[in-house]
Amino acid sequence: MIRAIARKELVQYWRDGRVVTVFGIVALLGLAATVTGWSAVSAMERERASAVAMDREIWDTQGLKNPHTAAHFSRYAFQPTFNLAVFDPGLNDYVGNAIWLEAHYRDPAALRPVEDAVEIQRIAQLNPAWVIQVFGPLLIFILLYGAVAAERESGTLRQLLAAGMRPVSLLLGKAVSAFSLTGLLVFGVLLGSAFLMSAEGIERLPDTGLRTAALAALYLVYLAIFVFLALGVSALSSRSRTALAGLMGIWIVATILGPRIGPDVAGALAPAPSAPEFAARLDREGADPFWGAGEEAVQRRQRVMDAALAEYGVETVEELPINYDGYLLQASEEFANGVFDTMYAELWGGYERQHAIARGFALVSPTIAAQNVSMALAGTGLHAYRHFADQAEEFRREFVLLLNQEMIDHGGADGYAYVSGNDFWRQNPDFEYAAPGIGEAVRGVWADVIILLLWLAIAIAVAALGVRRGFLGEVAA
Amino acid sequence: MLEARDLTKFFGEVRALNALSVRIGAGESLCLLGANGAGKTTTINLFLAFVEPTSGSALVNGHDVQLDPIGSKRHLAYIPEQVALYPSLTGLENLEFLAELSGHRDHRTDDLLGFLERAGLDAPAALRGVAGYSKGMRQKVAIAAALARRASAFLLDEPLSGLDPAAANEFTEVLADLRRDGAAILLATHDIFRAMELGTTIGIMKSGELVERLDPGSVTGAELEKIYLESMRGGAAGAGGGPA
Repeated sequence: MIRAIARKELVQYWRDGRVVTVFGIVALLGLAATVTGWSAVSAMERERASAVAMDREIWDTQGLKNPHTAAHFSRYAFQPTFNLAVFDPGLNDYVGNAIWLEAHYRDPAALRPVEDAVEIQRIAQLNPAWVIQVFGPLLIFILLYGAVAAERESGTLRQLLAAGMRPVSLLLGKAVSAFSLTGLLVFGVLLGSAFLMSAEGIERLPDTGLRTAALAALYLVYLAIFVFLALGVSALSSRSRTALAGLMGIWIVATILGPRIGPDVAGALAPAPSAPEFAARLDREGADPFWGAGEEAVQRRQRVMDAALAEYGVETVEELPINYDGYLLQASEEFANGVFDTMYAELWGGYERQHAIARGFALVSPTIAAQNVSMALAGTGLHAYRHFADQAEEFRREFVLLLNQEMIDHGGADGYAYVSGNDFWRQNPDFEYAAPGIGEAVRGVWADVIILLLWLAIAIAVAALGVRRGFLGEVAA
Repeated sequence: MLEARDLTKFFGEVRALNALSVRIGAGESLCLLGANGAGKTTTINLFLAFVEPTSGSALVNGHDVQLDPIGSKRHLAYIPEQVALYPSLTGLENLEFLAELSGHRDHRTDDLLGFLERAGLDAPAALRGVAGYSKGMRQKVAIAAALARRASAFLLDEPLSGLDPAAANEFTEVLADLRRDGAAILLATHDIFRAMELGTTIGIMKSGELVERLDPGSVTGAELEKIYLESMRGGAAGAGGGPA
């Protein structure tokens, strides 16, 4: 019975020019978004490859220079734009993919767009994920607003029920047909993306296969929510126009207003510091307490000197077998690193609070939860960026230590006059980002997964209510 | 077989049907006459299990429709005044769908065309979209659907309203054939003369009660009309006739 209903629906869709037109437009949008996504990722990867090579070349050929001066000059950490960004670029366009690594400072420049991360999530981008997130529900609502209401208006519902059709069979048959079409869209877009993702020059995320399967499952659950909502609303509406109006309201709130208002409210309730404000504070609190002229700084430097003298068992700095300036610089690094850890923990904590508030809006908009999970799986969300930023910071510390150590070990009494050459620079390692596996990638979005499953349960309950109330009320008329 | 046992339905304070007891066996047809609101459609809705009876029961082929709504509909055909079909499908496709709904997926296209032919719809018409069908053609699809699902009990709610005389005649002949083949038919109608042609029993309903049961062989059309009009005015003529 369900198969017969689903097949009949698909034939009707096929013969209904409006459905074919809408589906065609959405499919074209998906195709255009996929090609656009691939083109953008390819371009970013080409630029990255070129920038990486240039950065290395400049570093290797900088000539004679004091290692710590070189640490100020320093290098960039580049994050690859991975293959799944073709499907869902997430925040990639806004957080950037390069962080400047320099001594004494965890560069906040690349973080500047992230400070507006929650807000920028509202900006619509033409990408495959967004097309499914926004137009998938719209397509479902257009297909299903009359699922029960129109059958009721035309009189066919009464005849179907008289023929012994179970209401739940009608709903499931309609669900299967709508799901087939929208599922076709999801798999078409994912397959198209997968094909383009495999293009040469685009780096693969670890667990790409698993992530792609999880994305397919995510979007099927996401679309199922809207399928059952549409069926329930149609069954509970007296007329198909009423159902359409109700569903359009749900669509606007879920896919347009929710993702836009949620981050606004989150930003207002848990404001993040502005980029200049944060940068100034970072500079001030990381440097002044060590290098300043105040008593605290003087004492701190004195303690470093005392420790060095004790470590090497000498009485004066001049007797030290190392370059003391390098030693002091490294000590200042370690002091600043502690400050950076505290300040960035605060900053990230602020983002987490914003994120949690914005996630609360997923209770009225499953699109928000789906976006969070999708970005996490595609490796393009805030957590992925943080993973990269933290790894870059870890590398910065090791790299600066390497340079300071060169000065400490070989600079002797030359102080800042000590220089290294290209032979040394060429031995220095590159930053190589190791993206997390799927387990770590989704660690921050379990709440979103639960919210989506809750939405699915609610949608099924609404459809069940439609079966119980909507059908009984009709047939007695 | 269709059977009502003390079937009663109140909508709030309004009595729509009062203690209706009828039995329509195989090869029998009960034609219910009555003004709008007399209880004809309520009777049909009760047999379809679309509404719950206040008391009493309705049975189709021995299945209580409230206790076994799906089983009772397995061999039940319902033809309303306006047969609703899917306009983007052909008559044949509509029939195929309706047959599949009732679990008859084994019909070949030739079988389905045969049912339509028997209902009076030829193959060229059956292969056209039903958007251009007349009311009579739609009813033929409904009859064909009943044949396809091997229905043995028919509920017809004003199916003759609005049909031209030729179509009404054709439809009545098809129903008479079905009755001769053993179908049990309950027909709600305003058409006294078609009721005379088709019914093995004629019932007159008023205010939810079956006030007259007549044997169409025992009255002329003119007498039936007189009895019907008198019963509508208030009194029952009492022309006789046993229980249906």
